[in-house]
Amino acid sequence: MIGLGLPAVIRSKLRNAWTGRVWTGGNPNGTKTGLNWPTGIAAPLAMVAPALVLIPVLGLLPGLVHGGGFDLLAEFIQAAFSPSLDPLVLGSALKGLGTTVGIALLGWAASVLLGLVLALASSRQVWTSCCGHVWPANLLRRLLALPRSIHELLWGLLLLQVVGLQPAVAIAAIAIPYGALVARVLGDQLDGLPSGALAALRCSGVPAPQALLTALGPPLLPGLLSYGGYRLECALRSATLLGVFGLGGLGTELKLCLQSLQFHELWTGLWLLLAVMLLLETGLGGLRRRWLMPRRLGLGSPSSGSPRLEPGAAQGSGSGRALAAWAPAGPGLASPNPARPWPLPSSPLAPESGAGHRDQGRAPRPDSLGRRGREMVLALVVIMPLLVWLARAMGVHPLGLLHWQPLPNLGAASWASVLALPWPQLVGTTLLLTLVAAALAVGLAPLLLLVIAPWPWARPLLQLAWALARLWPPPLSALLLLLLLKPGLVTAALALGFHNLGVLGRLLLEASDDCPAPAELALKGAGVGPRLALLYGRYSGLARSYLAYGAYRADVILRESVVVGLVGAAGLGTQLLESLSSFAWDQLLALLVVYALLTLVGEDLSDRARHWLLAPT
Amino acid sequence: MAIRERWAAVLAGLSLVLLPAALPGGTPGGPSLLPPAQAEQPQGQAKPVLRIGAIPDQKPEKLNRLYPLVAAELERQLGVQVTYVPVVDYTAAVTAFRTGDLDLVWFGGLTGVQARLQKPGAQVLAQRDIDVAFHSIFIANTGSGLKQIRDVKGLTELKGKRFTFGSESSTSGRLMPQYFLAKGGVKLADFAGGAPGFSGSHDTTIALVQSGAYDAGVVNEQVWRTSLRDGRANRAKVFAIWRTPGYPDYHWIGQPNLDQRFGKGFSRKLQGAIISWRTTNPQQKQILTLFGAQQFSKSTAANYKQIELVGRQIGKIR
Repeated sequence: MIGLGLPAVIRSKLRNAWTGRVWTGGNPNGTKTGLNWPTGIAAPLAMVAPALVLIPVLGLLPGLVHGGGFDLLAEFIQAAFSPSLDPLVLGSALKGLGTTVGIALLGWAASVLLGLVLALASSRQVWTSCCGHVWPANLLRRLLALPRSIHELLWGLLLLQVVGLQPAVAIAAIAIPYGALVARVLGDQLDGLPSGALAALRCSGVPAPQALLTALGPPLLPGLLSYGGYRLECALRSATLLGVFGLGGLGTELKLCLQSLQFHELWTGLWLLLAVMLLLETGLGGLRRRWLMPRRLGLGSPSSGSPRLEPGAAQGSGSGRALAAWAPAGPGLASPNPARPWPLPSSPLAPESGAGHRDQGRAPRPDSLGRRGREMVLALVVIMPLLVWLARAMGVHPLGLLHWQPLPNLGAASWASVLALPWPQLVGTTLLLTLVAAALAVGLAPLLLLVIAPWPWARPLLQLAWALARLWPPPLSALLLLLLLKPGLVTAALALGFHNLGVLGRLLLEASDDCPAPAELALKGAGVGPRLALLYGRYSGLARSYLAYGAYRADVILRESVVVGLVGAAGLGTQLLESLSSFAWDQLLALLVVYALLTLVGEDLSDRARHWLLAPT
Repeated sequence: MAIRERWAAVLAGLSLVLLPAALPGGTPGGPSLLPPAQAEQPQGQAKPVLRIGAIPDQKPEKLNRLYPLVAAELERQLGVQVTYVPVVDYTAAVTAFRTGDLDLVWFGGLTGVQARLQKPGAQVLAQRDIDVAFHSIFIANTGSGLKQIRDVKGLTELKGKRFTFGSESSTSGRLMPQYFLAKGGVKLADFAGGAPGFSGSHDTTIALVQSGAYDAGVVNEQVWRTSLRDGRANRAKVFAIWRTPGYPDYHWIGQPNLDQRFGKGFSRKLQGAIISWRTTNPQQKQILTLFGAQQFSKSTAANYKQIELVGRQIGKIR
């Protein structure tokens, strides 16, 4: 539809550019998949296609709006401009913020440490070098899928039942699933590193530990740091969310304020949290650029089948590559066309050579040699005592986690009551919720950017809205939406979708800013409107890796669907909270198993989707 | 120069790393996630602290006003250190009692039964005069088209309306109302949207029904009366449609091991202290007023058999 407005000359050029060069559309033999990646004009449109879900959602909305809460909503919006500055409120918000940041930092540090150890323990290369067997690595990998498949909130609530109220619970709740995730990503990266150097060292008689460190350490570092930084941002969001469910920190205050409708106090906490979040994101972005680490959209495959760091990606080459830095390349290795190791064109219009070595202009000056190493050591030195201090200030006793309380023995489990739960409906609702939320988030991000393309002033507004969306834990937006909408699936999906839109939108914006501009400029110069120029100039190069990231995000959303349970009628999450408040351990166990199975299947599906999207054709 | 700089940085870092280890004890005044429940585990021989808690059934600011007063009064009466530990929801209060993080908790009917079942030997200490026959009030928004109803059969009017309970585990905001709704022939799936909402607390229910976000809801009578009195409930926007028959509700429950930790006969002393509160004492009057009661009286587990029965019927107790 949009393509119709494009001058015919450009249209044919575009088509030639794609069909002639890189995207020949699916597999020529047609054996691998039945689906073909759309070619030519349609290619970038695939990115916006998920937004089609808006049609049914908007269709349903009028029936869902009950209009009762407009007054409250107006009050809520007004309060944004007049947050409470009462020293008492400020003090307690700051204290809560301190706790949230503390939980995030400690949980993150523990997860990175745990992940690093587990990554080494589950790396095939390490096992082959050390003892010649691969099966322990494979076994550990399978086992790690379980902690990953359970959302941190569930870990938190379960730990709370087992070890009681203590600060270490929230930290462990973040560390366990995150650690397993980090282990997976790093393990895959380790195994994806070229093994030549390692083999050479081993052959010349270097013992295994030294050889591993020398051969694999340096190439792994950028990936570790970049992914670690990304996890820290996630940890801050998770810590806030855990607070909403009573595990301490600012989240608790936010929920109490919203529940008692004290919007001015609510916004005090929100603005503070926003400041910290933006500070963290900017700071990490700065470090990433300074230390020349791979950029982010490629981070979208932490759970992929076999993500690997492409040689060259770590050196900060063109955006397309950087985007795909960690994208799965399983099929890539077995590629029928080894001459073209990476499928992503930096931009279909830009010549390959002009694909922007962004950092080339900043070739390391002599005095900056080793600067990165020094700074990293310094950062580590600053962080370590900070962590120790935080742990002490919060009264964290890691050993307390070992002091298990027996679960109450409330009679024999009644499996009849477990079977009596409406399983098909619960699972169906959960899946539908996930799909709608994912489609909303994935489709709306590029759509909104396209809509505002002609107006430069709208961009910061959109960025602010997205920042708020990321910041706002989904259960809180769900509670807020309930002021306007009837409870149910669509309301829950909107809340989840909104939150993930904030995450996806930011990544897309970052990636598209990293994309070379000439194509877009050329299109604009030829008289194409700003929206079309953006769509065909920039997005065409990003579409696949963006959708691949979207597939990963859908997987995350499935796991997250548990947190909007309080909206009611939201599938497994709602039932889980109800079972928890009834202390029905048998139901709880069954629900957890189903959830874990669903997320494992979801992970597999999203892996496949990603492989298909990123596979060289 | 560069090398010296580097070493200076490393040394500075190392000293920073070691600094906290050299500092004596924990750092006081830092942010604390949860009150120091951990530090005063039963093993601690030095001065046990009585940790009191309550289900968060009302606005946090009211809880934060009331329970520190209770803590101070008990501290004065009993001569032991008493701290108030806030929790975020009903389930968390039950869990904290089971895991021994709370010694004395103000539970609702249902949460009290849940707590006693999970912690055998826990003692029911006292209840308010109003808890012997407590009532729930069904409320409605004036724009909802709902009218006052005469008996339990009238609850069918609520079918197809947007309806909210309080907390999932609330006795007066969920358990007993659900029981009466079932008696009146209303299933949870009959409400608009296929399910009721759970606002989390009585105050929130009133605010949400008053705003029109929900057509109707159900709250505990004491909170409803207080809201009418202090004007937070606007009679022009929200009104009572039905008062349920009475049932036993809130009560204080203590840990089974209080006597071992605080000395022989401590539970009796604690019970005696609570039921000795009178409106003639200004401190105690303030507490009783916030509790909406004239005085407390002894209570026993047998009083909550009916709640347990209904809880089992509805599936909240298993």
